[in-house]
Formats: sequence, structure tokens, C-alpha cells
Amino acid sequence: MLEFSVLILFPLLSSAVCYFLKSTLSKYSVSLSVSILHLALSLMIFIGWYQPNLPFFFSTDSLSKLFLLVLSNVYFWVVLVSFSYLKRPVTSKAQAGKRYYFLLLNFYLFSNTAAILSNHFGMYWVAAEATTLSVAPLIYYYRNEDALEAMWKYLFLVSVGIAFAFIGILFLILSAKGSLLEGQQLFFTDFIKNATQLNPVWLKASFIFVFVGLSTKIGIAPMHTADIDATSNSPSPIAALMSGSLRITALLGVMRILQIVQPTSTYEFAKVIMIIGGLFSLFVAFIFMFKVNNYKRLLAYSSVEHLGIITLGIGIGGLAFVGAMYHILYNSMTKVILFFTAGNIHRKYKTREVDGVSSVLTLLPWTGWLFLLSFFAISAIPPFGIFFSELMIFEGMLFSDKPWVLAVTLFLMLFIFINMSKTLFQMLYRKNENEIASSEKERFEIIHFATIVILALLIAIAVASPILLRQNILNISKDFGITL
Amino acid sequence: MENVLSILFCLSLFYLSVTSRVKAYVTVLQMQGILLTVLLVFPFINHFSAYALILPASLFIIKVIFIPRYINKIILDLDIKRTIEPTIQQFTFLLLVVFVMTAIFITSHVLSKSTDIETIPFASGFSAVVVGIIVIIFRKKLIVHVVGFLVLENGIFLFGTSVASALPVMIEIGMLLDIFVVVFLMGIALNKISSTLSGFEVTALGRLKD
Repeated sequence: MLEFSVLILFPLLSSAVCYFLKSTLSKYSVSLSVSILHLALSLMIFIGWYQPNLPFFFSTDSLSKLFLLVLSNVYFWVVLVSFSYLKRPVTSKAQAGKRYYFLLLNFYLFSNTAAILSNHFGMYWVAAEATTLSVAPLIYYYRNEDALEAMWKYLFLVSVGIAFAFIGILFLILSAKGSLLEGQQLFFTDFIKNATQLNPVWLKASFIFVFVGLSTKIGIAPMHTADIDATSNSPSPIAALMSGSLRITALLGVMRILQIVQPTSTYEFAKVIMIIGGLFSLFVAFIFMFKVNNYKRLLAYSSVEHLGIITLGIGIGGLAFVGAMYHILYNSMTKVILFFTAGNIHRKYKTREVDGVSSVLTLLPWTGWLFLLSFFAISAIPPFGIFFSELMIFEGMLFSDKPWVLAVTLFLMLFIFINMSKTLFQMLYRKNENEIASSEKERFEIIHFATIVILALLIAIAVASPILLRQNILNISKDFGITL
Repeated sequence: MENVLSILFCLSLFYLSVTSRVKAYVTVLQMQGILLTVLLVFPFINHFSAYALILPASLFIIKVIFIPRYINKIILDLDIKRTIEPTIQQFTFLLLVVFVMTAIFITSHVLSKSTDIETIPFASGFSAVVVGIIVIIFRKKLIVHVVGFLVLENGIFLFGTSVASALPVMIEIGMLLDIFVVVFLMGIALNKISSTLSGFEVTALGRLKD
């Protein structure tokens, strides 16, 4: 019962408590305590010091343990910096957005945890829809026209997408007609065990609907548009949360169905669909990196790119699959620091247009250097983790039966890297004649502290390569029928 | 009985494609809600139990009472014009709907030979999903988009009852609540859109692009 309370009940209760609390500090303290408890327990479960035994429609396996840790970690850092973020001055209209900030944040943790730990398709669906509901009002934090449009589009498109995913789930039920699973509850584990009995035609339809539906939330092209708008117009902690953990929660749904499909004849078909989705996402990121001139949108496209790489890795299978699992962890952490530092830049320059930003390294030395390092981390420069995970994915591609995918991927990624660095270096180094002369030195803030710790963690995890992490990822691969 | 209700459901879709009043759209939602409630209650008519009524009751409250009233309130509050402002001719729209529904019914009939499905509820539900999407694509008003989304959800519900041997009540109610909150949030967003972006149509939303 302890695990159920800490992971699911506490976030829900603290969400309710935040409604009644008046001061931001007390809301912050409650939320931070809940997030620390959540992180500690997720870590203990991941390490194996605590064997969870969840009731109702919940359970854990290697996959959910990893995803839970990713969520918990991202959420902790976001809550940690939120207090200092909320202290920033905003327009009088936007003051209202602060009131429900922690309430929604706690509800976000509750719904995401429920989605990740669910062992039942129905439960997963309800929780995944609830994550949309928790994050949509947070997108509208600034209360301006752009944020409003972004929120509407996100809410509408993702709700329709999730409805499609539900049709996919119904098709899965249809595929079970005439098998042992007919009339049974929709537990993942039961379906995985009896997957070979499922009707392949309905199973294919089910995979397509779930994949396309959840793509709106994962940000796989061509369903990525609402996600880009939402990520780029929400406050930076929320953007970090969306890029770092929400997309991953949606990806989990696709992986669950892939796990069912894996022992059947539909597996090859599903892999091809995932490869197409991944490549198309990379292509979209490649095109838009040429023309985008809003740095938060640029980072959002970078998320599309990396989720594309992850999807591609999962679709290729083998070593690329293992690399994709590492990539999920590293990408989530790197996205958090990129959005944190981008938020600092936005505060100083009051614009998201690249043209309005110059000399970040001189005017904001802390933020500037950390932003630069975060950019190195996302661009797979060693010794940051993404270098190792991408290398693994590339190696997997090279030795798969589709080595041409590697050539296409590398070509697209090269241009993405060049265009992204061109834009970001402009912001960091370019001198502007009408520059705001500022004698005020940038103060060291909690956001800088969080960024430094995460950067250190990214290097430490990659270099030390903990056996626990490797073992967990190998277990996940084994669940997907991959042996190295 | 299930077939009769499903055909009535299809008729509501036809009505949706010929009417041009926003109010009529909301009435269609109410009708569909009632049909779905009856569909849920029907199997329990002979062996009544209070527990079995939880789901139909919550469905009735949410889909027949709360949501339509809420949408009507938004229409009144925002003083939205009564017509739906289509982007294509009404007749072309009807033709499109008829064509799509015919295709779905034929496909379902073919599929029912290989899989054990009940053709009429299955095809009606799926038709509602597609009609919902067509409404979203070919109508300008955002409030009509919300109705289109709800028709799509109703379709999934009907389709689900023809396929699934009932999900746990707790999860079904969770789904209903989710949909209710989505509509609630959309309503709030519509309010803000009409005041800040001064419009109720998709054309008001064109700020974000690359």
C-alpha cells in the first residue's frame, strides 16, 4: 500500500491541498515534498530495494520502472525551479495562472504515474487523457493570444488523437475474438502472453490507430503540430515537463501495443510503420530547422527530432532498440536543461525571436554557457549521454537489414545540427549595436544549479554506465524479444 | 433492439448533415445521449440491479444533461450566430456523408463474415466517428467543432458497446469524466478566444506558424 500511496494517492491529495492553500511558498513546499518522496520511491523501485505490489489496474515491469524514473526525475527538477519561476513578474492578467500552477502540476504527476503504472488498456487511456487535461491549462499560463491558441489546438487535437487510440484499443478487443482472451479484461500481461492467438488483420488496424492517435501526444510527424505550438508557448518548466516526460508517457502506449504485436506476424508491419514515422519526423525537423526563427520552437522541433530517433531505434530493433531506451533517459534530462536555460533567455530579452537575442554569453554568462553546454549535450557531443545512445542506435541500424536508414538519418541529422548550431551560436555570440548595456551581473540562481547537476548526471551516467541501468534496459529488450 | 437504436443513431447523423442551426446540433447530441443510455439499460431490463444502473445514469447525466446545457449556455453567453457557416454546400456535405456511410456499411458487412461482429451497431458507431471528423473539417465555428468531437466520442461509445464485453464501470466512468472535463476546458477556452481573439471561427486561430 505504501507504493500506491506515495506514487498515486499523494500527488492526488496534494493537488487537492494546493487548491486550499493560499501562499505560493506552502504550495511549493507540499509539491516539493511529494516530488522528493516520489523520486525516492521510484529510485528504490528501480534499484530493486523495494518490491512494489500495486493493487487494481496497476503493476510494474522493467519498462514501467524506467519510465517511472524518467517521469519522477524530470518532475522533481521542474518543481524545484518552479518557485523561483513563479516569482518572476508577469502581466496582471497572467497572475491568475499562478493560482492553479501547483494544483495542476500535482495532478500532472498523478495522471502520468497512473498511466505509466497501468496494467490495463482502459486505465492507461483514462490516465493518458487526464495528462492532457492537466497540462492544457498550464500551457495557457501567460494568458496571451498565442498561449490561448496553442492551448486550444493542443486540447482539441490531442483529444481527437486519444479518441483514435481508443478505437485502436477496441480493435485489439476485436482481434481477440475467438481466442482465449475473448470476453476477458484488457490487461497488458494477458494479451502479451496470448498474443499469437490474436487475429492479425485487426491487430494491424489496432496498431495503426494507437500509433497515429498517440502520435499527436508523442509529437511524431505529421501529427506533431499542436505539440510544437504547445511546447513553444508554455512557460519553460512546463515545456520541459512536456518534452521530458509527457511525450514519453504517450510513447509507452505505443510500446505496450508493440510488445503485444512482437511475437506475431504483424511485428514486421509495425516496425515498418515506426520507421516511417521516425524518418518522417526527422525530415520535418530537417525542413523546419532551415526556416524557424523562434528559439523555443526550434527546441520543440528538436524534441520532434529526438522522439523520431527513439521511434526509429525501436522500429529497427536489436541494438538500436537498446540505444533508444538509453536515449529516452538522456533526451528527457537534456530537454529539461535546454528549456530551463531558454526560459532565462526569454526573461531577459522578452522575445522568443532569434533576431531579438544577441550576446547571451556576455549579458547572461551563467545562462549562456549552460545553454551552450546543453546544446552540446543534445547534439551528441561526447562525453554527454546522447552521444553513446545515438552511437548505439546507429550501430544497430548499420547491422540491421535496413542499413540505408542509417544513411538517410545521418544526412538529415547533419543538417539539423548545422542549422541548429547556426541559430544558437547567433544568439550566443552575435554582437548587436543597440544592445542593452547592462552593468548588472547575472546572479547565480536555482535554475543554474539544477542545470549544472543535470549536466553532471548526464556525463556521470554515460561514463560510469551503471550495471543496474544496463540490466534494466536489457530486461526491457528481453520483454520485446530482443537478445543481444 | 440494438439494431433499431443504431439505426436511429444513424438517422441522427443524417439530420446533423442537413441542418444548419447550431441549436439543432446540440439537440442531436442530446438524442444520441438518450439512445446510448437506452442501449446500456436495455440488457438489464429483465434482471434489474442498482449496480448496473450506475453507468447508464452517469452517461445520462453527463451526455444528456450537463454537456448540452453547457454548450447551450456558451452559445447564449457568447451570442454566437445561429447558423453553422459551412465551408461547403449543404447538399455536397450530405452526399459526402451518405457516401462515407455506405462505404462503411459495406466494409463492415464484408468484415462480419470473417470476424464475429454485429454489423449494424459496428458500422453506425464507425460512421459517427467519420461524420464527427467531417463536421470538424468542413465547419468553421469552433463550437461546432466541439460538437463534432462529441459526435465522434458518441460513435466510439456505440462502437465500443458492439465490440467490448463491458469495461470495468470505474474505467467507463473515468472516460465519461475525462470527456466532460475536456468539453468544460474547451468551453473556457472558447470564452477566452471570443474575448481576446474576437472570433468564434477557426480563422481566428492563425497566429502560430513557421
